[in-house]
Amino acid sequence: MAETGRYLYAVTRDLRPQATADVAGVGGTSVETLAHRGLTALVSTVSLDEFGEEPLRRNLEEMAWLERTARAHDEVVRLAAEHGATAPLRMLTICRDDRAVLDRLDEMYDDLVAALARIEGRHEWSVKLVLPPTSTTSKPPSSTAATPPPAGRAGGGAAYLRAKKAAAQLQRESQDSAARTAQEVYDELSSLAVAGRRLRPQDPRLSGLPGTMTLNAAYLVDDACSDSFTSAVTRLAGSHPEIQVRVDGPWPPYSFIEGDPS
Amino acid sequence: MSESFARAPAPNTQSGRVQPANLADVLERVLDKGIVIAGDIRVNLLDIELLTIKIRLLVASVDKAAEMGIDWWRTDPMLNSRAADDVAKENQQLRRRIEELEGSSARAVGPGDEVQDEEPQSASTSKERERG
Repeated sequence: MAETGRYLYAVTRDLRPQATADVAGVGGTSVETLAHRGLTALVSTVSLDEFGEEPLRRNLEEMAWLERTARAHDEVVRLAAEHGATAPLRMLTICRDDRAVLDRLDEMYDDLVAALARIEGRHEWSVKLVLPPTSTTSKPPSSTAATPPPAGRAGGGAAYLRAKKAAAQLQRESQDSAARTAQEVYDELSSLAVAGRRLRPQDPRLSGLPGTMTLNAAYLVDDACSDSFTSAVTRLAGSHPEIQVRVDGPWPPYSFIEGDPS
Repeated sequence: MSESFARAPAPNTQSGRVQPANLADVLERVLDKGIVIAGDIRVNLLDIELLTIKIRLLVASVDKAAEMGIDWWRTDPMLNSRAADDVAKENQQLRRRIEELEGSSARAVGPGDEVQDEEPQSASTSKERERG
């Protein structure tokens, strides 16, 4: 019989145990609730063959394992967030047993209660701006290859390089303007949110969004304001047709659970 | 909604819950955000840092990571893309093209100063291309 540990997903308040019945946790485990002093921890029993220190070291290097586990963690957090204020824990928080989990809840009690109060009735929204791939300016070699420069003229190579430079200049200018747009959009939406953060732009390989991400913003928005927030995004998208605008949410307030969001 | 992107199909959806559409969204949140409670299972800090660095580099700049020799994702079927190969191929074509052009202008004007002047310029331009 392999050793086991208790994997913690999130802490919420007074979640009914049945609420987790139809969600699968990390490693395909079932998810249980552990109530303590008005807080409820969402936990699973995981095998230390997979989630022990040594196995984790290996598993973390495997992108497929990481994705599976991250998505399962996220799924449980989102389920809890649907039922009320939820404080997500960092992925891979694992204790020996229930006693150890309750000890941690006691140690963190004040912080957890404060965090839950801060995000009560609020959710996270993601707004991204993506500059579409520049198919014409980014491929000068193939377009000029079709029409070779007139032979016999001096400086054919120089003309080619000048054209390339001009194309690069054009691209730089369009990127500068995209950066300004990103800041404007970010600021305008910030005024409708409790808090906002600019996250690192994502790579297309992970995001599946082709082009250059010029804004990857997270906002903490009052549930009562979510309609006006998404309407504002729609309006901003309308006034910037050159850029793709994407809004996702509502999500658990991952990006605003630590510290004072205001 | 106004977004022009097709919403990526959400794997692992077990209900109608709103699902973060992309892996980058999920990873940057579950790995980097959330409350930190010290568990009993200590994931080797060095490894975690390495992982975080990898993910961050991947999220921030794939080519930068490759420059630094962090290219583990290239062999990962999930992340493997032809894009990197394409860039290398494009660079090669570009270099060949520049050589051709320099060759033809050299033939046209004979060995002269102008052609020599272009050399450092073309080298730096092709490097810029690699970075972009």
